[in-house]
Amino acid sequence: MTDHPGGDDSPVTSESGDGTEPDARYTFANERTFLAWSRTSLALVVGGLAIAQLLPPFPGIPWGRHLIGTPLILLGCAVSVISYLEWKASQRALRHGQPLPRSRLPQILAIAIAVIGLIAAALALLSAVGVP
Amino acid sequence: MSPPAGKAPAGREPADDMEYADPGLARERTELAWTRTAVSFAALGAAILKYRPLIGLPVLVLSAVVWRLGRLPVPARAGRTRDRRPLLITMTTVGVSLVALALSFLGPGIGPLR
Repeated sequence: MTDHPGGDDSPVTSESGDGTEPDARYTFANERTFLAWSRTSLALVVGGLAIAQLLPPFPGIPWGRHLIGTPLILLGCAVSVISYLEWKASQRALRHGQPLPRSRLPQILAIAIAVIGLIAAALALLSAVGVP
Repeated sequence: MSPPAGKAPAGREPADDMEYADPGLARERTELAWTRTAVSFAALGAAILKYRPLIGLPVLVLSAVVWRLGRLPVPARAGRTRDRRPLLITMTTVGVSLVALALSFLGPGIGPLR
């Protein structure tokens, strides 16, 4: 199969030791999904760094910025690693003609962002009422 | 056999109608995705550059590398299934994350050029 999908009618099944070569369009789609998650992880890292470095300190809670920024950076790191593992698993499934594995990333991201949001809200309230 | 242009493979729904009408679009869209990723690296590099030029500059250079990776000619790749570029992107992102983590604790304004 050529790199250009549908560019010729050569067999999709260029056999190798690890399954068969999938349709290039699915491979490209898998690659784009991985890249989209990579951008998400970079955005999380930038957000975490901006909060830790640029946000004015919470009154009475000097470590407050790190409580929000550090988990965001770590989450970005985790999203990057998990997205790679999922890209690899999807690629393997495509090669073997199996159903694509279910992605856990949306769930992980939603829960983590919700928890960090709650922490940020709690910090804002605590600093507003002047609790040390 | 690969499906002819304009027709989805047997047993599979078309992922994108336009891609089946014009299969070359898949590659173009993927190259654009690589470009967006490179821009994301550049944005991170620029953000760090403001406070830590010595660290921000290499990250900016990385964005150019990422852009180039997305445009590698097919024969130069080791085969799509043994594609090492996603691993490279992941390792780079993890490295940049660790640098960002260190920077977040050092705080702005302590950079060697400031």
